[in-house]
Amino acid sequence: MIAPLAIVLLLQARPTNAAQPPAGDRDALLTRAADAAKSGNRAEAKRLLGAAVERYHSVSALMQLARLESEEGDGDGALRALRDARTLAPNSEDVLTAFAEVSLRMQAPVPAILALEALTRLYPDEPRHPYLLGVALMRAGDVVAAIEPLRQANALDPDRALTLVALGLAYNSRKEYSEARPLLRRALDLEPENADTLAALAEAEAGVGDLENAERDARRAMQRAPANATANFVVGVVRMAQQRYAEARDALLAAAVADPASPKVEYQLSLVYARLGDQAASEEHRALYERKLRAIEQAVAALHAPSSGGGE
Amino acid sequence: MILRTVLAIAAAALALEASQSPAAPELLFRDVAAQAGLTFRHHAAPEKKYIVESMSGGVAMFDYDNDGLPDLYFVDSLTVDTASHPELARSALYRNLGAGRFEDVTEKSGLAHPGWGMGVCTADVDGDGWEDVYVTALAGSHLYHNNHDGTFSDVTAAAGVGVPGWPAGCGFADYDHDGRLDLFVSRYVKIDLGRLPEFGKDKTCQYRGIAVQCGPRGLPGESDFLFHNEGNGRFTDVSEKAGVSDPRGYFGLGVAWFDANGDGWPDLYVANDSTPNFLYLNQKDGTFKESAFPWGVAVSEDGAEQGGMGVALGDYDHTGRQSLFVTNFSEEYNDLYHHDGDHFTDVSFRSRTAPVSLPFVGWGDAFLDYDNDTWPDIIVVNGHVYPQMDQARFGASAGYRQRKLLFHNKGDGTFDEVAARYGPVLTDEHVSRGLAVGDLDNDGRIDVVINDLDGAPQVLHNEIPQRGNWLIVAVKGVAPNTGAIGAEITVTTPSGHRTEVVQSGTGYISQNDKRQHFGLGTATEADVSVKWPDGSVSKQSSVKANQVLTIQQPAKR
Repeated sequence: MIAPLAIVLLLQARPTNAAQPPAGDRDALLTRAADAAKSGNRAEAKRLLGAAVERYHSVSALMQLARLESEEGDGDGALRALRDARTLAPNSEDVLTAFAEVSLRMQAPVPAILALEALTRLYPDEPRHPYLLGVALMRAGDVVAAIEPLRQANALDPDRALTLVALGLAYNSRKEYSEARPLLRRALDLEPENADTLAALAEAEAGVGDLENAERDARRAMQRAPANATANFVVGVVRMAQQRYAEARDALLAAAVADPASPKVEYQLSLVYARLGDQAASEEHRALYERKLRAIEQAVAALHAPSSGGGE
Repeated sequence: MILRTVLAIAAAALALEASQSPAAPELLFRDVAAQAGLTFRHHAAPEKKYIVESMSGGVAMFDYDNDGLPDLYFVDSLTVDTASHPELARSALYRNLGAGRFEDVTEKSGLAHPGWGMGVCTADVDGDGWEDVYVTALAGSHLYHNNHDGTFSDVTAAAGVGVPGWPAGCGFADYDHDGRLDLFVSRYVKIDLGRLPEFGKDKTCQYRGIAVQCGPRGLPGESDFLFHNEGNGRFTDVSEKAGVSDPRGYFGLGVAWFDANGDGWPDLYVANDSTPNFLYLNQKDGTFKESAFPWGVAVSEDGAEQGGMGVALGDYDHTGRQSLFVTNFSEEYNDLYHHDGDHFTDVSFRSRTAPVSLPFVGWGDAFLDYDNDTWPDIIVVNGHVYPQMDQARFGASAGYRQRKLLFHNKGDGTFDEVAARYGPVLTDEHVSRGLAVGDLDNDGRIDVVINDLDGAPQVLHNEIPQRGNWLIVAVKGVAPNTGAIGAEITVTTPSGHRTEVVQSGTGYISQNDKRQHFGLGTATEADVSVKWPDGSVSKQSSVKANQVLTIQQPAKR
């Protein structure tokens, strides 16, 4: 259940710093490009930025070009521009950050991780970098490694809800529910209406056997987001523990709809159908579980493959 | 005056510091291996560049000479460099002399050189009343027949049980109710010593960026074997016919025979590394149906395939049913599967046994009532497979050497991890593998014996001062299953009842003492019933506490 929320977290992340104010011919080109973009003439903006790159090797132009490409959904084009920018300004915080963010949006966490590792070394006091590094590591399936940078981000900027939630999710994923619970509770203090945080807290509570609070918080999450996959899953496992199998089945089916890639939901469904005596359905969900498990393994392997999208 | 004041302040400060220092460890176990005369040392290559150098070895606690004192057998292994010199591995048999002393009787016994040894299980295979020994070993396991005179004969070829490849776990049980003990052998990875996967080369030979041994993922697995005992000293391979051959080649390790569904027939659980575990339900017609998934014991609660190593059975909550405790790799958790009658439920986190296990690679495990309070506790020994772990630690994962875990059963379905309470004997770090439990000196306190990879063994003598009453029940079956393998022993006191199973093959490729130990708490007597493998039942009422009770199965009329 990490991936969807991680994407939400990323989308909520603040944008990169604006380009430097224009000056001279190069800056005039950049200003004209910005005006063109503002007026909706993106082709002209891109042409002017290309000219600035060609004539002046302008990093700012490459950054703006990347942003335009990204906004148009051309992640590969954005990454090309940012790679060129990195060649010109390898230690630029703005360039590295933009590169990492676009890589993450492109589902290419490995190059993002490399950029963010450099950023955390170069700018050790900036909490945003270890935060994004933690998120990127989670996206790459390396939850163990994600915890340390997220803790670092939390230490640099305590009480930031996004960091607290990310760290809580990482602990949940590692089944360190006792560690997750206080972080998620604090995140809820800061953002009480966040359904994802409520669901994550419910998951942690279910994990430590606190079924009553787990169900309560899962229900609260579902009041805000009825299709929340984690919340429905938690209700399902609580009902399983209570041996109320028909209700468990219904909740788990809702979780499966909300998170169709999750093998653990299918595994629990195979169990609940076995308890209900429906062996055929149990077998069917076991087959789905195995298929989804292999799909995740392949996806993680692909992320780490040298030719993964946006690779260095 | 000033000096006196300064001294007084210093004394007060010291007293304060003393009062604030951690409490001294309480006495539970004392490692008496050296004092008992155990000089055995397990061998493995220091760098463990190949998986085959990381998985040995088992330990057996069994009474080979029928003198009422459990003896010890430790399995040794070779290395890739010494593989062609089997004499360099010396497994060792120690005779229990009583009074805490053991005698090395290895040379006389003929058990010294099974080759590249892995695990061990024992049983009276031929019904002569003496326990025989089966040792799993790379490229050929061995069945050693007990000659009743302190010696054993290798009868592997005659018996037809010399499993090739990489056998690991083993266990005997009478799966077809013909009275004779049959043999199951799990196998691990398919490996060719002449063409070993190159250390650190592929993706499956990397652990978080550091080069390590390859496998088991990425290597082919091997099928498993079930041998039917024909009763004439010969066994027949019935693996495929019985449906337990594991054609997909999962990475088999720990083995446990027990009656999972309560129908009176032995079922079989196999812990598989990095692949789903098996639960084979006996169909009473010579075949089995693999049912681990619907029974909830194949994978973790979120469907993850874990690194199953050891498997322990125990009636930890006095339901009369055997729950399962399975040890796994680091960053996974050890599973406690609670037996709910017609299925199991993963209660690892609810029981509080899981969280503390996450950093450790678990191997030998056992339920044991170490304080005789009637509630079976759990012990787990740990140790990583990669010595390279110490170059770079990651996350919460422990290093190469790891401490033990001791879970105290609170009697309400939850456990407290209490190893630190009992000091260095449990918290010192080792690279442990096999573990066997039993009462070495018949003092009613259960002891623990551990085989460490590439190291000296540990003999943890239980010396807990505050303890409850106890009963040890030894059962004698009618021939040919004279050890009554598969018998279920139930001890009932006013505070409840508890059932344990006589098993061949326990924990991680090891063998516990087959006599069953029961803590009785404050009860001074108990009722004992034995459900024999043939389904008949013997009962004894008001048995006095604090004795070793032997119950003989009545002869059939």
